[in-house]
Amino acid sequence: MKKKNISIIDYGVGNHASVEQMMKSLGHRCSVSKVHQELSSSDVIILPGVGAFPAAMAKLQDDGTVNFLRDLADKGKIIIGLCLGMQLLADKSLEYGDTPGLGLIPGVVRPLKHVGWHIGWNTLEINHQNISLKLNADAVVYFNHSYYFDTSDVYSSVKVTVNDKSFTAGVRKGNVCGLQFHPEKSQIAGKLFFTQLLDGLGDA
Amino acid sequence: MLKKRLIGTVTVKNGWAVQSFGYSRYLPLGRPEVIVQNLDRWGADEILIQCIDRSNQGLGPDFNVLKNISRLGISTPLIYAGGVRGTEDARMVINKGADRVMIDFALRNNPESIKAIALDLGAQALIANLLVRSHKDVLLTLDYVSGIETPVTEAIAVIPISWVSEILITDWSNEGHFEAFNINIQKLSEIIKKPLICFGGISTAKQIKGLLDIPPVVGVGVGNFLNYKEHALQSFKEILVGSELRPPYYEGQKA
Repeated sequence: MKKKNISIIDYGVGNHASVEQMMKSLGHRCSVSKVHQELSSSDVIILPGVGAFPAAMAKLQDDGTVNFLRDLADKGKIIIGLCLGMQLLADKSLEYGDTPGLGLIPGVVRPLKHVGWHIGWNTLEINHQNISLKLNADAVVYFNHSYYFDTSDVYSSVKVTVNDKSFTAGVRKGNVCGLQFHPEKSQIAGKLFFTQLLDGLGDA
Repeated sequence: MLKKRLIGTVTVKNGWAVQSFGYSRYLPLGRPEVIVQNLDRWGADEILIQCIDRSNQGLGPDFNVLKNISRLGISTPLIYAGGVRGTEDARMVINKGADRVMIDFALRNNPESIKAIALDLGAQALIANLLVRSHKDVLLTLDYVSGIETPVTEAIAVIPISWVSEILITDWSNEGHFEAFNINIQKLSEIIKKPLICFGGISTAKQIKGLLDIPPVVGVGVGNFLNYKEHALQSFKEILVGSELRPPYYEGQKA
C-alpha cells in the first residue's frame, strides 16, 4: 500500500475525527482543513457530511468550495464523498425543495419513501454491471440516512436492499466516488473497504 | 439484510462512567472512554453514552466526554444523550464525534426544538428516550425532572415523536437489575408506531432474543451486564448466532 496524503474538507458539517483517525490507522497522512491551497496539495480529498442537503450546499457556496471542488474534479483529483458528502456530488437533491448539488456524478437525491430512513448495519451488494468500486462481497456496513442517490448503473457500483427495494450505496465516475454508508463507523469491514477503495481509486 | 442492533450503553454521571441501579444508586466504573474503547473492540453494533446529570442541572451536553471519546478514533456508531437543549447543542454533539443524538428533557420542555433539530440533522439522527414503567397493567412514562408520571397514551399525544426515527424505551425502575425488563412491548407498539430500542434490566441472551423477535424492536441496549466480564458482548452474540444480529467479531479477525 502506498501512503497517501489525505485531506478532509472542514465546512462545519459532520464528524471529522472518526474519518481522520481511521485514515491514520491505515497508515496514511491525514488532516482536516478548509484552506483550499492545503486541500489541493493532497492526493485524496474527503467530503464528509451530516444533516440536510440545502444547508450543506449553502456552506460550501459560502466558502467558495463548490467551484473549487468542480475544478479539482476536472483536474483528476481523487474526491470521496461520505454519506451526505456523497449526495452532494449529485446534480440536485429534493430534500426540502429542489437544491442544485456539485454535479460531479449524474443523479438526483430522493427521499427513501418506502421506509422513511435506513439506520443500522446492512449488507452491500456488488452491482455486477459496474464493478468500479472494489469491495468484499457481503460486507456489512453502517448506514444512517433518509435520502438516497438515484443514478444509473453506469455510476452505481454498490447497492443495498431495504424492505425488498434496492438502491445505490456507492457511486463512481472516474476520479470521483461517493459512499452512502459510513466506512469510518463500520469497524473492520470499513477499514478493509477504505484500504481497497484507496488502492483502487489510484487507478482512476 | 438490515440487521438488528446490540447497543452497548454507558451511563455517565459527573463525567464518570457508573453502574446505575434504577437511576437511584450508583457505583463508579471509571473513565467513560475506557468503557467505550472496550465496546468498540468487542464489536458493539452501536454505543450509547447517556450523561444523566446534564439536563436537570442545565449544564448542556458534556463535550469533554465526547472530546475524550473522539480522540480514541472508535469505529463504532455513537449515540449521545444528555443536556441537548436545541439545534445548536445537537449540531455541536455531532461535530464533536456522535453520529446520532438522543433527546429526553427537550421532548417535554422544548418540544418545538425537536422539529428544528430534525430539519437540521435529519430525523435519522434523532432518537427519543421515554422512561417507562409498568404499573398495575398501565404503562406510565416519567418526566424525571418534575417526577410526574403520565400514561404513555397521554404523553405520546403531546411529545413530537413524528420528528424522531426511533424511540428508546427505558424500563427505568428495573434498570441495572438482573433479567428485570418488564415492559409489554407488544402492547406499547400498539400505542407508539415507531421503531423501538429496549433498555433497562436486560441481562441475558434469552431476553435479548425475545425482544428482538418483536417486529418493531430494532435494537436492545445493555449496560451494566456488559461490564461483569470480558467479551460479554461477543458472548451474547455467540449464543444468538442465526438471529437478526450481526455475528460476533473478535479483534484481529478478518472482515
